[in-house]
Amino acid sequence: MSSKEQFNQISPSEFFYRNRDLAGFSNPTRSLYTAVREFVENSLDACDHSGTFPNIHMTIKAVDPDKPDPKQYILTVKDNGPGIPSKHVPLAFGTVLYGSKFGLKQARGMFGLGATMAILYGQITTNKPVKVKSNSDGKIRHDYEMLLDIQKNKPVILKNEEKSSSEKGLSVSIYLEGDYAKAGTKIRDYVYQTSLITPYATITFDDPKGEKFNHKAIIRTMPPSPTIIAPHPYGIDVETIRRMLVDTHYQIPNVDDKMIEKIRKELGMSKKKFSYTEIMKKTVKKWKSLTRPVRVVIALMSFLEADFEKLKRIRIEDVDLRNNKLIYWDYNTSETLVADMDTESIYYKQLANTVQGESLTHFLTKRFQRVGVTSAVEFCKFAKFKPETRVGNMSDQDLVKLSDALQTYEGFRSPDPTCLAPLGEIPLAKGIERRFEPDFMVVVQRTASAYSGFPFVIEMGIAYGGKIESRGTKVYRFANRIPLLYDEGSDVVLKVVNDTDWNRYKVKNDSAPLIIVSHICSTRVPYKTVGKENVADRPEIERELRLALQFLSRKLSGYMSKKGKAEMAIKRANLYSKYLPLVAQFCTELSGNTKPPKYESMIQEEIKIEEKTE
Amino acid sequence: MKKKQNKEVKKNKSNELIDILKKHGAQVYDDLENGQFPKFSIPNRSISNIMYDKKLRQYVLGTNTSLRSSRNTSQLRSFTQLLWLAFFANKLTHEKKSSTLRDVYYSSQAFSMDFEDQGESDNIIVDLEAVLSKPREDFFVFPEERSSIFGDLTIEYTIPGYEGKSQNLSSHPDGYAIGPSMTSAQLVDTSAELVIAIEKGGLFTRFVEEQVDKKFKSIIINTGGQAPRSTRTLLKRLHDEMNLPVVILTDGDVYGEHIAMVIKSGSANAAHLRELTVPDAKWMGVWATDIEKFKLPTIPMTESDIKRCYDLQKDPRYQEGIWKKELEVFTKIKKKAELEAFSKYGLTNITDKYLPEKLELARSL
Repeated sequence: MSSKEQFNQISPSEFFYRNRDLAGFSNPTRSLYTAVREFVENSLDACDHSGTFPNIHMTIKAVDPDKPDPKQYILTVKDNGPGIPSKHVPLAFGTVLYGSKFGLKQARGMFGLGATMAILYGQITTNKPVKVKSNSDGKIRHDYEMLLDIQKNKPVILKNEEKSSSEKGLSVSIYLEGDYAKAGTKIRDYVYQTSLITPYATITFDDPKGEKFNHKAIIRTMPPSPTIIAPHPYGIDVETIRRMLVDTHYQIPNVDDKMIEKIRKELGMSKKKFSYTEIMKKTVKKWKSLTRPVRVVIALMSFLEADFEKLKRIRIEDVDLRNNKLIYWDYNTSETLVADMDTESIYYKQLANTVQGESLTHFLTKRFQRVGVTSAVEFCKFAKFKPETRVGNMSDQDLVKLSDALQTYEGFRSPDPTCLAPLGEIPLAKGIERRFEPDFMVVVQRTASAYSGFPFVIEMGIAYGGKIESRGTKVYRFANRIPLLYDEGSDVVLKVVNDTDWNRYKVKNDSAPLIIVSHICSTRVPYKTVGKENVADRPEIERELRLALQFLSRKLSGYMSKKGKAEMAIKRANLYSKYLPLVAQFCTELSGNTKPPKYESMIQEEIKIEEKTE
Repeated sequence: MKKKQNKEVKKNKSNELIDILKKHGAQVYDDLENGQFPKFSIPNRSISNIMYDKKLRQYVLGTNTSLRSSRNTSQLRSFTQLLWLAFFANKLTHEKKSSTLRDVYYSSQAFSMDFEDQGESDNIIVDLEAVLSKPREDFFVFPEERSSIFGDLTIEYTIPGYEGKSQNLSSHPDGYAIGPSMTSAQLVDTSAELVIAIEKGGLFTRFVEEQVDKKFKSIIINTGGQAPRSTRTLLKRLHDEMNLPVVILTDGDVYGEHIAMVIKSGSANAAHLRELTVPDAKWMGVWATDIEKFKLPTIPMTESDIKRCYDLQKDPRYQEGIWKKELEVFTKIKKKAELEAFSKYGLTNITDKYLPEKLELARSL
């Protein structure tokens, strides 16, 4: 008798289905909140990157309002962003691990995973399809209704309609099991705090109880959007290097209208004759003068025997040099197809060359930030690699060696902060001013700094008095423009705030109407948990937070002592007007005078002196 | 018979005080008139500024003074309180109306002086004493009466309603309370040659019964424990104005010894005042050495008694003579004896035997 174990590969969807707790979908309360976050953050990211002032409208409606919680809700988030091109909609919302965020720059979410998770969760709990309405050109709106095939990690399109509409943007609507009675406070806090850190966005929220929350944009300038940059060597692990290598294999350019136009120009062809056979003919003559992307596209065309129309509708999945196969995904038929490659053709060499990749020095200088030719060569010496090593041929051991060396080599310059998008001092200040209407407010943006290869910037604001209703120090925490609401106690910001001796800054800690807004921007915020709610206390981050808080506290202290002086002046004036008349009365009788002395001016003068010192 | 030498002393004293008060009032008035914030200079009464003056044979204040300015908001209130008290004292002195510390506290409330408690108003009273260098009895603020006087002494009242009326203090066997009317009275004349100050009311009654006043030609004063300042003032006047020597009889313990010392040379608390002491006064018992000598029944000292012994050994006034010697014996035997202890040998033993012997001895001290 022998026992047989079955080893099955599971799809990413299946994996997340089985481990949905990891992504914050552990119970109806948390899930509703997480779903809201994922959709709102996706919308904000989309608007930011396209330079649109976000106008986001969210509704949560109970399917049957009379039922007790937890129950089914419909969550809809609609934005005015760039939308998603129709052909990407099924993949973007119907598969896990598909997204536009694989580059390295600061964004609220990573990889666009969360939204699909929310859809997955909704489908699991209600078995209802997701409705996506996308308008990316301002002319036609594409309405989809889809389910997720969890085992195959593929979308199942139930409905696909087109309507003419001039409103650009995306609207996503899901059914899901939630508990608004419990999650409501957090969700409202989330919406409010998001509007605080995104003062250029208008966010409206209609809650299931019929309440409307309307947070209008209060500034009309957007912070500059971050640029996508290559990673810094310090922040890299073996897996990332492997992915980057895979990425370099597929330096297969996107086939869009621009690309097609480029190919046409390089081949010097007219639009009329621009067919598959003509292109191939012309290519043979012009091969040497063509640029590399054009060569790669034509090489693909040759193996697939495809024209541009066909090329646009597929996605290359692998170039398998061992078996001489080209594997690709066809959007039309929704299946994986394979084409053979002729090893003798010049096109094969072109593709093979691309797949084997560039030399190590080239890889380092091109794929990483802050690595120049000199430092790349120096590094190769340090890591004992030949500079001309082809990265595509490196073994797993080589990759581990490379990754270790990248961490330990000390010659790299510190990370480039241009990939960060802090809010900026003025927008932050305006946000705080409008939302809290304090008596005193000051903000600071620290210069960029880095921890283990990831750049970060700390922005912080402090507000006191006025219409602030809370008593004691209230801390609003943000990371990459996301409010952090849970697990406050273990957060590094709280640690820094609690370490501060407020008496030194003339603030009574437990009763002061004091608000601190802290914003950590980084390409990778070091969250302590997967739930992304608290930031770990990396020494570099802690130090920056401390310096920012000290700067603000000193300003606050200055204000407090001025305020103290003003209060003192009033107190003095009150004391003088209370006691000096008595002094006058007693001394008049004591000295035997009949008329009281002229002392009234002394009360007045004292007030004037105090005003001058203000 | 001894006659009062200067009938005008008391009157002048009142006038002098009124003058000083008026001067202070005028200063404040002028300051205000000139747009200046008025201030008082108050001798500093902290320990560091109290020293023993060997010539005067009492504690005195050093030269440190502190300013209390009406400009300083943290002092403005107490400045006003002090000025008010001067104003109130002026009224009392003019009208010759006596009052107590408690009276002052309540009177202040009519002027919205808002003293937080009587302790605060008592402090201001001591401040004014220090500013004027006059005891509060001079401006008619008196302690509760608990001490009394008996003997052939004729006085003439000066308080309103009794002015010119005279009284001999030997007509009432319970004695006469030493209150405001007594303290402000003129001392007219006496046949006594001695003042005996005694610590306890019981013994005072015994002395009157046993006619100590006649037998020893004395005026008897009950100090009621630690002598109140009005009593000390009266003792000083009897000594200075009537030329009477003063002897003191206390319980045989360190507290008794110190009661005698305070009459003789004052207390640190009253270092800002003069004319409260009778430097020539003599402590004639009960001494520590008397306990053994007269075989008196004793009580063991408590721990606080013993601590008091050691504390007093540091006092500069206990560094010589019988003061030093008796204190050392007390510290050594750790026992004490009350005046009543003599009753073991009969109720009149103290007046028949002990007193004559000690008086004889006192003359030679």
